[in-house]
Amino acid sequence: MKCGFCSFFCPVYQEERTETSVARGKNYLTKLILKGEQEFTPEMGEILGKCLLCKRCVANCPSKTQIDRVVVAARAQMVKEKGLGFIKNLIFRRAMANRKAMGRYARLMQAFQWLMPKTEGKVRHLPDFIKSLGSRNFPELAKTFLRDQVKPVYPAVGPRKMTVGFFMGCATDFVYPDLGLALITFLTGHGVEVRVPQYQNCCGAAILFSGDFATARFLADENVKAFKDLDYIVTACGTCSSTLKDYRKYLAENEEQEKRYGELESRVKDVTEFIIDVLKIKPEELTLKKEFEGKTVTWHDPCHLVRYQNIKDQPRAILKGLKGLTYVEMPNADLCCGMGGSFSVYHYDITKKIAAKKMEGIKATGADIVVTACPGCMINLLDNVLQHKMTQKVYHLLELVQ
Amino acid sequence: MIKASLIGELQNIVGKENVLTSQEALRAYSYDGTTNWIREPDVVVFPTTAGQVSAVLKIANAEKIPVTPRGGGTNVSGGSVPWLGGIALVMTKMNQILKIDKENLTATVEPGVVLQDLTLRIAKDRLFFPPDPQSFLGATLGGIISENAGGPACVKYGVTKQYILGIEVVLPTGEIVSLGGRTLKNVVGYDLLHIFISAEGTLGVITRAELKLLPIPPAKKTIMAVYDDVAAAGESVYRVLENGVIPDKIELLDNWVINRIEEMMPIGLPKDAGAVLLFECDGIAEAVEKESEKIAETTRKYGAREVRIARDDDDANKYWMARKAGFAAVYGKTKTVFAEDVTVPRGRIPNLINKCKELATKYDVEIVVLGHAGDGNLHPAILTDVNNKDHYERSVKAMHEIIEAAVELGGVLSGEHGIGLEKQKFFNKVTNPSVVNMMKGVKSLLDPNNIMNPGKIWD
Repeated sequence: MKCGFCSFFCPVYQEERTETSVARGKNYLTKLILKGEQEFTPEMGEILGKCLLCKRCVANCPSKTQIDRVVVAARAQMVKEKGLGFIKNLIFRRAMANRKAMGRYARLMQAFQWLMPKTEGKVRHLPDFIKSLGSRNFPELAKTFLRDQVKPVYPAVGPRKMTVGFFMGCATDFVYPDLGLALITFLTGHGVEVRVPQYQNCCGAAILFSGDFATARFLADENVKAFKDLDYIVTACGTCSSTLKDYRKYLAENEEQEKRYGELESRVKDVTEFIIDVLKIKPEELTLKKEFEGKTVTWHDPCHLVRYQNIKDQPRAILKGLKGLTYVEMPNADLCCGMGGSFSVYHYDITKKIAAKKMEGIKATGADIVVTACPGCMINLLDNVLQHKMTQKVYHLLELVQ
Repeated sequence: MIKASLIGELQNIVGKENVLTSQEALRAYSYDGTTNWIREPDVVVFPTTAGQVSAVLKIANAEKIPVTPRGGGTNVSGGSVPWLGGIALVMTKMNQILKIDKENLTATVEPGVVLQDLTLRIAKDRLFFPPDPQSFLGATLGGIISENAGGPACVKYGVTKQYILGIEVVLPTGEIVSLGGRTLKNVVGYDLLHIFISAEGTLGVITRAELKLLPIPPAKKTIMAVYDDVAAAGESVYRVLENGVIPDKIELLDNWVINRIEEMMPIGLPKDAGAVLLFECDGIAEAVEKESEKIAETTRKYGAREVRIARDDDDANKYWMARKAGFAAVYGKTKTVFAEDVTVPRGRIPNLINKCKELATKYDVEIVVLGHAGDGNLHPAILTDVNNKDHYERSVKAMHEIIEAAVELGGVLSGEHGIGLEKQKFFNKVTNPSVVNMMKGVKSLLDPNNIMNPGKIWD
């Protein structure tokens, strides 16, 4: 049985219309690999790479095939057999797996980013000489990274309800440090003591989903160590919360790891669910920042929230509950924005086409601002809003709340 | 194998990016919606215009290269599997809805348009295309026409052929012709249009179609009738119709399916029931109201132990979600499924159901009934495992007997899936040799070199 219904839901297939783009094709070829009839050829690597891991096919599969796990497992096997490739090896193992080194590289980039012309506010786009690569808009790297601004402990304001660890994540650290500080202020203001473990590391999403399980496991263990003895681990990045929760599923090779990662998983909360499900804050009781009063807002579901963590009601409840905002649902709210982490690096042309559909959805709402809760999506939405010359601003949910 | 020089010619016609030859791509076009029919093409070609299709067919015809047209590849007959290799002609990039004519209630489409995309688009104009094959999420119009697809709504609305006014088709010689037209009535000579509908891509390549649409009915109502005996449910189907009500859908779920659905998504279906029938009426609100009452009355009279009328849309959706889940239930439960497509005259539904039960006992296999009872297209499914040789063989025997029984009851081998490869072994058995020869005559007239989807139907 190969019904092929995934084709309707796959953002990549919708652009390419070829069978190798869609879950059914990838699943079939992976089966041949398992049978020993197909090799990890460069073409096969290309096919496995052309997946956003957005899980729309998984959510709609009549036979409940977990194609995301098929693709990631196949990528992992390929890394085992063929190695990681020079560039990924350099980035994953030399940079991302080493927090200090990663900080140094980011700082180096920060120092040279004045070379890139600014368009608007804090956005930069690639200078003309590499425009042939695409005229992509990047948010500016922060002057001072979050890691250099935070204190190890932020006591709760008023009586302490619990102690949580703040997992910052790379995008928040290097690009959106204010978002991290906003999260800390929000949590302490609601009676939560916030610890910021110094030795926390990258969540490893890009590494894990590329199939470099060895490096991912190293990062997972670092994070398990860093966040011991805390009631919860809270993050403002949908991809980070989802990845921390997925260590067990992907990386556990023995019972001990199963237990260790499972224990971490049970304590990880995305900030959206933490506000509603753990702190049990009533959305009406939250205060909207003055500058957003009277605005119309729409919500973009990050794949890592809506399908990886089934978080869709909580952010909507907050946006609908905030007095002074008008909420409009986007027609294709749960459509992937097209980013897919490193997918957008290798397939920026497809990313742009998928994002164009997202932009149509945003336009249809007539909203002033687009809100989401994943810095990865924010970076891509920002790029495409500018490319489409739209007036909408992109925000993280937390940025709206006092 | 195809000569390398020909690959270059194909690239010149459709562009380099629209010709695939890698081992991986060929493998990805080696299957369709079935489990076991697998054969690789030598090259995959994506045309984007009728002119390109014509140029490709001219080469294929001159070189006698097999050409297998393919849309979404969701068919369940093996029909789009390139059985003799050659060119897989994939129409998915010809996917434009060219025109929606609200005055004439028609739409002009390219063959690669996915049915669900069409449905969503024309719904904005309060229109719909009635044939509703359940593969609508992936099935393309070219394939739907070539297979003359049906679906649940056929009880009232009929099958695809009733909604095709005209097509543009490229013949194996490369000639582009238009058949039919844009009018409802058309008796200008032989009805050649309908030879291409259900030809399974063996006569030519459809490159455009004129579809007949209908306005979306303003009201709908869902009725569920519960039966102790599955054959009694079968009887209710024709009793309702003979009492003057034509619902747009009548679907049957048997006890096995009911229980799997309740395991997956409990919605309160009666687990001890032999079967339930789901009816849907559509039309003007007042008429729908009266018809549902009539259905309730008739089904009660003919053996329903309980009848529920859905309170509102949400309630109705629940039942139809369950019907949809039935499909997953069957396929999720076992390795291999023989999804039969036999169709009998409606009055014989109880006989066919009883025969299935008898065969299930005789061969000690699970035979599940979950189908479009309203048009006699019952889809009995045999659950088996291709790796369990003994069980598999018993299942094959049971399947043979189901088909024989259906034909004896005045039915047909396939209601909506087509023959393709899957039903070939029965085709000659149940078809009059003179009729087979007429078909072959038509084929050799239009496709003398036998390049179009060879190896299918009677071969």
